[in-house]
Amino acid sequence: MSSFPPLCFHGCCASPPLFRMVSPAIALAFLPLLLTLLIRYRFYFVLFYRAVLLRVWRDCRTGLSREERCFQYVLTNATPGDPESILDGFDSWCTKKEFISHIGPKKGKILDRLLSEHSPLTVLELGAHCGYSTVRIARALPLGARLFSVEMDQKNAAIAEKVIRLAGFDEVELIVCPSDEVIPRLRADFDLEKLDFVFMDHWKKCYLPDLQMLEGSGLLGKGSMILADNVLFPGAPNFLRYIRRCGLYEWRVHRATLEYSKGIRDGMAELVYQGTK
Amino acid sequence: KPTSGRKRRRRRESKKERKKDEGRGSRNAQHAVDSGERTEKERQRKRRKDREEKAEHVQSLDKSKVNSRDFEGEGEDEEVEEEEEEVEKEVRPETLTPEELEKLKEAVDDKKKLIQALRGKPWPMKKKHSTLRESQEFLEKYEGALGKGKGRKLYAYKVMMNKKWMKFKRDFENFTTACIPWEMKIKEIESHFGSSVASYFIFLRWMYGINMILFGLTFGLVMVPEALMGRPYGSMPRKTVPRAEETNAMDFAVLWDFGGYAQYSVLFYGYYNSQRAIGWLKFRMPLSYFLVGVGTVAYSYMVVIRKMARNANETGGGDENSFNFSWKTFTSWDYLIGNPETADNKFASITTSFKEAILEEQESRKDDNIHLTRFLRVLANFLVLCCLAGSGYLIYFVVRRSQKFALEGFENHTWWERNEVNMVMSLLGMFCPMLFDVISALENYHPRVALQWQLGRIFALFLGNLYTFIIALMDEINLKRKEEDVVQFNMTMWEASLHNNTADNSTAPPLFTHPADVPRGPCWETMVGQEFVRLIISDTMTTYITLLIGDFLRAVLVRFLNYCWCWDLEAGFPSYSEFDVSGNVLGLIFNQGMIWMGAFYAPCLPALNVLRLHVSMYLQCWAVMCCNVPQERVFKASGSNNFYMAMLLVILFLSTLPAIYTIVTIPPSFDCGPFSGKARMFDVIQETLESDFPAWISKVFSYAANPGLVLPFMLLMVLAIYYLQSTSKSYKEANVELKKKLQMPLPPPVVAMPTKERPPGTQPGTRGKVNHPGCRESRARRDGDEDVRVCEREDLCSESNMRRHAGNLGWLTSGQNI
Repeated sequence: MSSFPPLCFHGCCASPPLFRMVSPAIALAFLPLLLTLLIRYRFYFVLFYRAVLLRVWRDCRTGLSREERCFQYVLTNATPGDPESILDGFDSWCTKKEFISHIGPKKGKILDRLLSEHSPLTVLELGAHCGYSTVRIARALPLGARLFSVEMDQKNAAIAEKVIRLAGFDEVELIVCPSDEVIPRLRADFDLEKLDFVFMDHWKKCYLPDLQMLEGSGLLGKGSMILADNVLFPGAPNFLRYIRRCGLYEWRVHRATLEYSKGIRDGMAELVYQGTK
Repeated sequence: KPTSGRKRRRRRESKKERKKDEGRGSRNAQHAVDSGERTEKERQRKRRKDREEKAEHVQSLDKSKVNSRDFEGEGEDEEVEEEEEEVEKEVRPETLTPEELEKLKEAVDDKKKLIQALRGKPWPMKKKHSTLRESQEFLEKYEGALGKGKGRKLYAYKVMMNKKWMKFKRDFENFTTACIPWEMKIKEIESHFGSSVASYFIFLRWMYGINMILFGLTFGLVMVPEALMGRPYGSMPRKTVPRAEETNAMDFAVLWDFGGYAQYSVLFYGYYNSQRAIGWLKFRMPLSYFLVGVGTVAYSYMVVIRKMARNANETGGGDENSFNFSWKTFTSWDYLIGNPETADNKFASITTSFKEAILEEQESRKDDNIHLTRFLRVLANFLVLCCLAGSGYLIYFVVRRSQKFALEGFENHTWWERNEVNMVMSLLGMFCPMLFDVISALENYHPRVALQWQLGRIFALFLGNLYTFIIALMDEINLKRKEEDVVQFNMTMWEASLHNNTADNSTAPPLFTHPADVPRGPCWETMVGQEFVRLIISDTMTTYITLLIGDFLRAVLVRFLNYCWCWDLEAGFPSYSEFDVSGNVLGLIFNQGMIWMGAFYAPCLPALNVLRLHVSMYLQCWAVMCCNVPQERVFKASGSNNFYMAMLLVILFLSTLPAIYTIVTIPPSFDCGPFSGKARMFDVIQETLESDFPAWISKVFSYAANPGLVLPFMLLMVLAIYYLQSTSKSYKEANVELKKKLQMPLPPPVVAMPTKERPPGTQPGTRGKVNHPGCRESRARRDGDEDVRVCEREDLCSESNMRRHAGNLGWLTSGQNI
């Protein structure tokens, strides 16, 4: 350390004036700040590495998309027809290999509990992604219940379809279409009267418009439950602000951590439609 | 008023009746005298009449009593008072038969007892209310009858005065609370942010008080006398800006740096003259300067130690662990609150205190892997030590380098290199606490203990910085003193040349040199004072700017960028900042330390500090309420924290050390300041003793300073301290014993609940429910407007907490049968 500053001092004199301005000792004084930030936000850095860097690297190397890799892993490791083992397969891939923002086992338990408490007959899922949450919901539904799953992306929908069939749930209707186009047509296309349960896990920006669209379509009746994932991280502030103000819902936020990560706080918003007052 | 009319009528009637009676009595007497014969009938009639008379007396007495009570109600009505006097003359309580008096007394006593026992009666609330009202009315009516004659009037007067006195006392109490500076602000902050944040503000207010006194001393006894009675500016070299600096002595940049005209003013040591007595008051300026310097330090020691002792007394009392939640649930609401804002505050403070209590409970139940915790704690301390050592080395390195630069001449180096020491020190002071904070997450302490550790660590860091600064200053002083010797030599030469000139042509008038042209010494005292003032100013600026950027700007950005950002800024990554208790407390303490150190050489320092504290009180109160969020784990801290005081005491000691060292060892400059021309600064005492006091006093002092007297005296003092300490210890033990004895035989405490008939623990339906009327109301109001900022964050998480807590409560209340 003692030899370092004079060395740099000479180096600084030779380098461009901007760099010369700041002396090395002052630069060293910023070290605690750097360390603090590193330690405090370590979970975010890990997440960034797993969700972005690793993904890009693997995409380039294998030529497959992330979802396809995940499906391959599940296919090799899970028992067909057994939803439990399929979910386990997903969980182990997401914790050990890479990261996909499924609902995860911990928040999934909250979802399971809510479903078993309310035993809804018509369920709408927005954002199926790989079908993890679809399988999770379908597993907890009572006999004769209908589950509509909406996925925008073609490739993801194909994988979700395969996963759902692999788990043995044939009665699930997978709709490949953006959610804002599906919701107004739901009543006409599937002659739905009322949705008992809506699970939102698609684009966080679409939470609010989709919720308002659901209200407008009249599919929500008194007692309909809406569960929105990831309302704190990445977060849907407008959505939260709206439900806080509009007074149509009885609501609460279940605090939890982000799926497959310990230190990032996240929450699920549970809304119960109370009807217009 | 219909009642008063009726009263008067009644009174008139009673007067008439009385007149009639007198007439009758005289007639009877005449009968007896005139006829002399009494028939049986007449006798009977007379007896009847007597009885009637007596009955009438009783009636009128009752009426008069009513009147007297009414009179108490409306004391201002003079007319009534006059009439009252009339009635008084006529009606005597002696006319009441003793049995009736007894009965009345008994009834009054009964009612009194009833009122006292009403609380414990198993009646519905309505019945309680009505009984209470009735018996109070009865008491009002008849209590006065028990006094006699004049006594009744006195009694009425007493009651009136009592009422007025009570009212006055209440008003006075309100007034005194309103007079405590910033009390309401601090209460508001406490209710939303918990006692830990409030403890900082209470500490700040206390410091403000001390600084006011210090300011009063220096301003009143040093600065004002010198400015009014001392020689004016420009009369002598030390009071004049030198010729070389005259051109830019009024520039803002120079003044901001406390050079130029600011340097040659009462603000600094160098301006003061060594004249022994100034003005028509013969004010002993140098003596006053010295005594004020010593007095401020002595006063500070006294205040800090006294406060510590008082705090130690306060913390001893009260059993805070049993029935904690029940007390909080049933007795927190203040029914005297009449103002919606205060009610809101109270509601928030109750919620906060519940959170604090829950945290305490959780902490007390926590049991972890003790070995892992120990290892982590050791590791954390090791990391912190590494960090401290690193920062210490960096500062040392920078100081060394700056000395090298100083030798080479500062002109060859950039601005960064010239200000390297300050920059590095303030940067380290800003960032290292953050690192400590992160590291302390490892340790898993209770937040109160964690705060103390954090305080201790930052204290060590700041202390290192401060002492580096002082050592650098000492080097500077030595340089200046060498320079002084050279100047002194030059000056004798210059004077000699001046004399030579005048000697040569003796016919010319004596040469007059303007004081600005006279060469002068560097005056290290003023330099030290200037350094401290600059340090205080830059420190204040840094604090305010950090506050504005780090808190306010961040809050604004988070609030408004949140409308158009891809993640939730408020709940997620930057969020709002929390109030940094440890950093702020230490900033305050070190700031005070610098004041104590520098006040001797720059009398303006206490004034500056008062200004700074005043501004920061308002600024920080505003910033806390406007841009901070409550800590995630609100914890309880006593408002008068002895830990802060202990640190203040340490800093006081450490800051008086260098000041005393310089005063005692370094001779004062030869041409500036009140002690110029003396070998040491404290010689002023000896001088005063010799010249201002009679000879025998100086003799006494010289005897008293004899080690033969001093040593036994000190021994005596040590013995006294030992004795007092041991007695206080035994008293403390006795107190604890007494407390235990008091607690043992007491029945479980009965909580008074005005709106409920039965305590909730005994009622099956309400088990564990918080049935607090005020609480419920304000809860409802809170739910109505979710926009209140405090709720913003807590509404997300508190529900489950509260629910769990309600269960907890139910268990407590039913289990302990309150």
